[in-house]
Amino acid sequence: MSNINRRTLVKGSLAAAFAGTSLSRAAFADADPILLGVSGPLTGPNAQYGTQWKQGFDLALDEITAAGGINGRKLAYTFEDSQSDPRQSVAIAQKFVSDPKIVLELGDFSSPASMAASPIYQRGGLVQFGFTNSHPDFTKGGDFMWSTSVSQADEQPLLAAYAVKKLGLKKLAVLHLNTDWGRTSRDYFNNAAKEYGAEIVVTEGYIAEERDFRSTLVRVRDANPDGLVLISYYSDGALIARQARQVGLKQVICAASSVYSPKFLELGGDAVEDVHVGTRYFPEDPRPEVQKFIAGFKKKYNGLEPDAFNAYAYDAMNMAAAVVKIGGTDRKAIRDAFTKVKDVPSIIFGTATFDVATRRVKGAMNAELVVRKGQFALWDGKPT
Amino acid sequence: MSSWLDYTINGLIVGNVYALVAVGLALIFGVSRLINFAQGSIYLVGAYIGWVAVVQLHTPLPLTIIFVAVVAALVGLIIERFGLRPLQNSVRIAPLLATIGISFVLDQLVMLTFSPNPRALPSQLPDVRFQVGGGTIGPLDLLIAGVGLSSALLLFVFLRYTKLGWAVRAASQDRDAAMQMGVDVNRVNQTVFGIAAALGGVSGLLVGMYYNQIDTAMSLQATLKGVVAEVVGGAGNVPGAVIGSLLLGLVESYGVAVFGTSYRNLFAFLLLVVVLVLRPNGLFASARQAPPEPLTGTFIAPSRPVRIPRWALAAAVAAFAILPLLPVSFYVLQTLINAWLLGMLALSLTLVAGTIGQVSLGHAALLAIGAYTSALLSLTLYVPVGLAIIAGGLMSAALGTILISPSFRLRGHYVSIATLAIGEIVSLVILNWESVTRGPIGISGIPPLSLFGFDLISPTSVYWFSFAVMVVLALLQARLLGSHLGRSFRAIRDDDIAARAYGLSLNRYKSLAFIFGGFAAGVSGGIAAHLYSYINHETFNTQQSILALTVVILGGLGNVVGAIVGAVALVGLPEIFRVAAEYRILIYGIVLLLLVRFRPQGLLGTI
Repeated sequence: MSNINRRTLVKGSLAAAFAGTSLSRAAFADADPILLGVSGPLTGPNAQYGTQWKQGFDLALDEITAAGGINGRKLAYTFEDSQSDPRQSVAIAQKFVSDPKIVLELGDFSSPASMAASPIYQRGGLVQFGFTNSHPDFTKGGDFMWSTSVSQADEQPLLAAYAVKKLGLKKLAVLHLNTDWGRTSRDYFNNAAKEYGAEIVVTEGYIAEERDFRSTLVRVRDANPDGLVLISYYSDGALIARQARQVGLKQVICAASSVYSPKFLELGGDAVEDVHVGTRYFPEDPRPEVQKFIAGFKKKYNGLEPDAFNAYAYDAMNMAAAVVKIGGTDRKAIRDAFTKVKDVPSIIFGTATFDVATRRVKGAMNAELVVRKGQFALWDGKPT
Repeated sequence: MSSWLDYTINGLIVGNVYALVAVGLALIFGVSRLINFAQGSIYLVGAYIGWVAVVQLHTPLPLTIIFVAVVAALVGLIIERFGLRPLQNSVRIAPLLATIGISFVLDQLVMLTFSPNPRALPSQLPDVRFQVGGGTIGPLDLLIAGVGLSSALLLFVFLRYTKLGWAVRAASQDRDAAMQMGVDVNRVNQTVFGIAAALGGVSGLLVGMYYNQIDTAMSLQATLKGVVAEVVGGAGNVPGAVIGSLLLGLVESYGVAVFGTSYRNLFAFLLLVVVLVLRPNGLFASARQAPPEPLTGTFIAPSRPVRIPRWALAAAVAAFAILPLLPVSFYVLQTLINAWLLGMLALSLTLVAGTIGQVSLGHAALLAIGAYTSALLSLTLYVPVGLAIIAGGLMSAALGTILISPSFRLRGHYVSIATLAIGEIVSLVILNWESVTRGPIGISGIPPLSLFGFDLISPTSVYWFSFAVMVVLALLQARLLGSHLGRSFRAIRDDDIAARAYGLSLNRYKSLAFIFGGFAAGVSGGIAAHLYSYINHETFNTQQSILALTVVILGGLGNVVGAIVGAVALVGLPEIFRVAAEYRILIYGIVLLLLVRFRPQGLLGTI
């Protein structure tokens, strides 16, 4: 051991790195599919979202393969774990950019990891298709950055309309994740809610690791709102709802679409009964693509209900397939294909077409749900 | 007024939750002078074992608790026997690194077995609520309080009145003397780890039930809050840990009351720093207690560093310098760029932790200061990037030294905990000081690296730039260590009393070390900011601080070449293990443990 020096160590690691790449190439050589690169968290604090992506991707790929693939070739992806860490996402970006087999990249999950990699994708001329990147500056990274993430400028006014116009709430307490997503969403929500005539009596930002909200809820109680708005993910949303009921807050709760998950019901239990959620689709949605998605998902994953992140990933893979169908395997042609692709069936948008100026998709679908008897159901118009 | 009652009750309730972890940490620290970073992982294991018992086996609550306690105790015994006991005769810093490695392995095993999706862990207690003040408390609140207080009481009685308890205390006061008196120190350690792990497991179970939610990310947070509570109460003091936890809960709750939710953790960590500055041994440390032993110094076994001949170093530098000319992929270059950036951070930390003995666990804060300074200067004042990076280094040196200076009077583990807290404070200030740092939105559109008007965009030029900067910093540091200054630094590390008697001003030398170290770390952060083009408060997080310390210990404390070798290894290994997909962090943890086991003084040895 003592005679290890820097050179032998690095030589060893380089050799192993080369061995690694050649190995994965060999595995795909015989089928020769069109390969997409995915950069996302499979380990680390955000690992759950990477797992959900995979479920959505795999279902979409099954359907694409069953329909004959892309011009006779299979579509496949290689998932590199970034732990949502910018240090690793930039290395992955170089890896994808230098691998000629990769025609398009999907991800990353968090803004620091995604946007740190953007300059590399932009200079390398590989499309970075960030389908959960709502950060307003993400697509400003360059003309190779495209996103189907629902713009919060679209989503939050819908939620505000639900809370203020439909449910008649006039004094709102807004609790939001203190991340770039939560902050942007909060600002759009507050502006829209004020425009519709409601008053925001208190806003509280909390960090993602927070689990105890009792003191926050005392602040909320003292502001005397008639409704709580949660700009949360499902796990923290469920925690807040539970603790709100425990400390005796009986106000109406409205939540952003990101809580739309069977996990929200499981983790929240009785406390999330009557919680209102603005979502992009719902189980009884008559749209054929939604029915196909839900039925296919349940069949593939033993009756599991799909959630919002599954749907984002499923849509993203279908969009990638549509783009590759037009653009072929040339990276630049694929970038141009994003401007040409039209009306791709989508769970989130109904049909998705990119706005070439912003490189985003406008016009998300809207469904107003409420939790009744432990299930998401279409809101029947009755106040709770 | 009634709100204040509610805030008080809420603070006590959450303090209760922290106490469960803090007691286990205090017990282990009391005996082995070790901050067990794996305690949060045992807590995690306990939560998932509890889920298996409740959801799959449908055991009643008393049986669930016993089941979880037994399994967690077994895990604790395995950790003690195979993870820590082999290290008892090696340098005392090795077990700290080993517990970090063990926590990687345990967290990953749980994640691979149960998937990272959060799960509901239903409470098995009847759902009745009692009205207290403006809110309610349930039976679980009482059970958690009961378990926390009774375990603290039982431990107190055990330590004071039983023979094995005496042995535990004897071993904690003087391990060698205890052994001479016939105390079976191994058995003592086993007992302590078993009890602490059982407690940790049960606390994971109860907290999981309390929130009706368990997920694999809960372990680091539990460790952090537990460590804060434990140190506030007086490290190693079991009843103190309970009071420290309640105090922490109260301070957080009042912090939320006065300033709002996003300031909550800021108050937790400020409390810690204030307590450490006013009462360096914690609030409830008895005056008779021996001063905390320095973590390094006498505990760094003087090892013989691996001598690398000058020509070999020169050849290695030359080889890396011409590497981009060879047909290597940009991916390899990018990985090495990451290694050089981490190398600069490690140079900084190896000087501060290794050479002068101030083991810092908040070093990512220096990166963040450098990164934000450089990014903001170049974006808002159009300062050329090269100058902005240097300004970032200077700002990091100045601000870092000022922030760390309260911890100069601390010794041993307390320095690490104080710096951990300072690191968290910096990150929370970045999150909340929106007018300057743009808060959670972060800073985007940071201009790329450039030098004298030429943009450094291609991976090759960034590689050369970062490599050159690192080599220059390394040469400067090596020169520094060879001088009179380096000898003074090491004298302070090895025996600060003797150094003081000899006439060295400790604070002045510690400041000098932090100024130089802060500059290197700030430059690294500045380069990273321009490389990434986007940073926010999450870019430089606690994991980076822990990674930096791992690099430094792995390379050999104080060893300049070792820091760089360690950085290449710890950036390279996870990349090499990419083929293993989800298993790579598990493999990384195991490799780390093996390295600590067989080369505890670091790859190249301590200087």
